[in-house]
Amino acid sequence: MKVDIALFAYLADHQPDGLGGRHARTFDLPEGTTIADMIATLGLPDQPRVVFVNNRHAAEDSVLHDGDRLAIFPPVAGG
Amino acid sequence: MPDFPDLHPHGRPSIDVAVPPPGREAALRARLQASSVAIVGCGGLGSNIAAMLLRSGVRTLTLIDSDVVDASNLNRQLFFRDQIGRPKTEALAETLLRIDPEARLTLHTCRMTAENLVDLVRGADVIVEAVDRADTKAMIVNTCMTTFPETPLVTASGLAGYGSANAIVTERPCENLYLVGDLTSDVTAGHPLFASRVMVAAAHEAHAAVRRLLGFDEP
Repeated sequence: MKVDIALFAYLADHQPDGLGGRHARTFDLPEGTTIADMIATLGLPDQPRVVFVNNRHAAEDSVLHDGDRLAIFPPVAGG
Repeated sequence: MPDFPDLHPHGRPSIDVAVPPPGREAALRARLQASSVAIVGCGGLGSNIAAMLLRSGVRTLTLIDSDVVDASNLNRQLFFRDQIGRPKTEALAETLLRIDPEARLTLHTCRMTAENLVDLVRGADVIVEAVDRADTKAMIVNTCMTTFPETPLVTASGLAGYGSANAIVTERPCENLYLVGDLTSDVTAGHPLFASRVMVAAAHEAHAAVRRLLGFDEP
């Protein structure tokens, strides 16, 4: 299945093409892949993050589906 | 949203600087006056956001914070030297009531958790995240967007340092989330907090809330 993945801010450095930037890349993933699987595959650091699928908040144990758009955003401190 | 058709029916984009027609401004003010906003955190962001919302006409505010005013807060937070040591919620409420004695304020002087946050913000028309720690920001966004997916949430990330104020923007990464900041300048990475840049972010957050309450979905 095809899933688009966008990584925001410093997470963009974890895109496999190494090019950075927040635009989505398309991944070809096996059925049943969860968001947590992708976080592990991409090697995202264990830092606070917010996850969206198709513009809605999603839990990290959610299973991805063909055509999904996954976005992961890491808040940084300050206020 | 009902009652307020597009101010620019002929296709003007999201930058709307038009002066409302006679009667419209009163209707806009009435809408804000009937709205409520929950502000989670009353520090550099939240204290200034509260004052801006009140001055914009949002008179029903829920203020949530567990801290007391410290001398180190005075460089950017809307507190005064004679308020040092007092709970931020109470000190801020006192100031807000000096601006508008008819403000309707609900104070929650308690540490927020994923468990109690839901009850603290329930019923607000817009929720504003205004805390300092990254993990608390993530918790608030995750909790509110899970429990209240239909309630607009405004959050901020990346407002420290002396980078350009123009790098701070409001984005709408998904339907009911407004994201303010440059997304990268992290106070824990050694960037200091300047009142000027914190208030730029606070103003973005307050204005995102105002616009959404008025029925403008785009930031």
